[in-house]
Amino acid sequence: MDYLQFVLLTQALLNGILLGLIYTAMAVGLSLTMGVMGIVNVAHSTFIILGSYAAFELSRYFGLDPMVSILVIIPLFFLIGALLERGLMRHVARADSTIGLLILFGVLVILESAAILVWTTDTQVININYGPSFILGDFIIGRPRLYAGIVALIMVGLTYYLLQKTMLGKGIRAMAQNRDAAMMMGINVERLSMIVFGIGTATAAVGGVALAMVFPFTPQDHIRWLAWAFLVVVVGGLGNVRNTLLAGLVVGVTETLSGVLLPFQFVPVVIYSFLALALVVRGQGLAGTERRTI
Amino acid sequence: MTDTQHERSNGSTAKLSMRNIEAGYYAHDLVLDHLNIAASPNKATVILGPNGSGKSTALRVLYGILQPRQGQVTLGARDITAVPPHQRLEFGIALLPQGRSTFPELTVQENLEVGGWTLRNDRQKLAQAVEATYERYPILKDMRHKFGASLSGGQQRILEIARMMVSDPKILLIDEPSVGLAPLLVKQVYEEIAKFKAEQRTIVLVDQNIEAAVEIADYVYTLEYGRNHLEGNHTEFEGKLANLVKEWLRF
Repeated sequence: MDYLQFVLLTQALLNGILLGLIYTAMAVGLSLTMGVMGIVNVAHSTFIILGSYAAFELSRYFGLDPMVSILVIIPLFFLIGALLERGLMRHVARADSTIGLLILFGVLVILESAAILVWTTDTQVININYGPSFILGDFIIGRPRLYAGIVALIMVGLTYYLLQKTMLGKGIRAMAQNRDAAMMMGINVERLSMIVFGIGTATAAVGGVALAMVFPFTPQDHIRWLAWAFLVVVVGGLGNVRNTLLAGLVVGVTETLSGVLLPFQFVPVVIYSFLALALVVRGQGLAGTERRTI
Repeated sequence: MTDTQHERSNGSTAKLSMRNIEAGYYAHDLVLDHLNIAASPNKATVILGPNGSGKSTALRVLYGILQPRQGQVTLGARDITAVPPHQRLEFGIALLPQGRSTFPELTVQENLEVGGWTLRNDRQKLAQAVEATYERYPILKDMRHKFGASLSGGQQRILEIARMMVSDPKILLIDEPSVGLAPLLVKQVYEEIAKFKAEQRTIVLVDQNIEAAVEIADYVYTLEYGRNHLEGNHTEFEGKLANLVKEWLRF
């Protein structure tokens, strides 16, 4: 390998890590809701893209830096998620899982269509100027990408802390592992489900903000992010933040490395093949998220 | 104290009973048919019956996991029929379910902490309650950081019991504690239940192990097709066991 190749690959690695952090942020909420509700929330990605648009509007009308707008976006989307759980998901979780999936797909269509109505399918970009890129020797790290990665990492870290170190997190994990037993411990599983869904939605939105700091976006993009998030969840396993992080980094690096080594149009092929392979290898742990009852 | 607090703190002196209960799992089925059970405070009440007679279902109604179609569940003077399961612990009522109920991917420590969920707002109290539980069940001390799923069957049973006791409940609903356990472990479980009795807790026990259950019982109910069949105190049942079993086997 000559030096140029080395630089290209390492640059791709660096970008891939930062990208992977964003993908993890997008996937963490999906992993959580899947683990607790036992159903694939296909509407998850619409909240990612709504997060992007929320940051866009806050930037456009109030000149808010996306990283600052997160402070508004988190409580807003948490509320939306909690209310959605109470009004809809609660009933979905009890129903046959096929029906649940269809209902969530309906939510996806409604939200996507609403976004198109409001913002049209024009590609949008958030105009931010954080200053010149960081230069480390022969490597360049763009500031928006770096900051987005840091934001994602912080959010993932906070989610990890919440789930592992707080009583609320332990209650959530207990509920995911045995809902009936959790009830017997005095855990209000209905209230906690609302909270879980709120967290899932809020983290998706933050993922969307991070995404919007780096890439242009349109409402229809979310489907692609659903596949990416789903891939991270499948590879990382359910409900485990640390593994989701590792998986996110793997996906990010795979994408950027294949972008360097292959013609760009093959990158989706690589990712989707990865997804197919991951499903074959790990799929059985998903469809029947072991729901234990007493 | 308010009425509620008074009642909650005196859980052990209130009688837990179900009156005229009709309940089932699906729209058309009737598992419990006008059932009446009264659990005298500080005493062990045992519910016996052949398979399918509704014993576990009766416990589920007492705990609120299954809502009855008709009838009431009362604690003392208070009607708690509509109280959801997660609030019953506040009344001092705890359920030890049949089968495995440990949280497999939580550590022993985390299992116990979740057992103290009702104490979660007072971190110190929770920590003390958990430590007290370790003192009572020292075998768990060395396994603090092991995952629930990695414990043996008998150890998981101990964990389940320990976890239930973290909140120091006064009324214990115990569903088939000896199922799937080796005889030596069954003996240990019943020794623990005897300890609960000595601590003046109210116990409602359902078990297939009739001998051990009647041995520890103050009062016995037998069920048949979800209805009351026989009832009586300990001495009345002592000699009758063999005949009872013969009757049941005919079903």
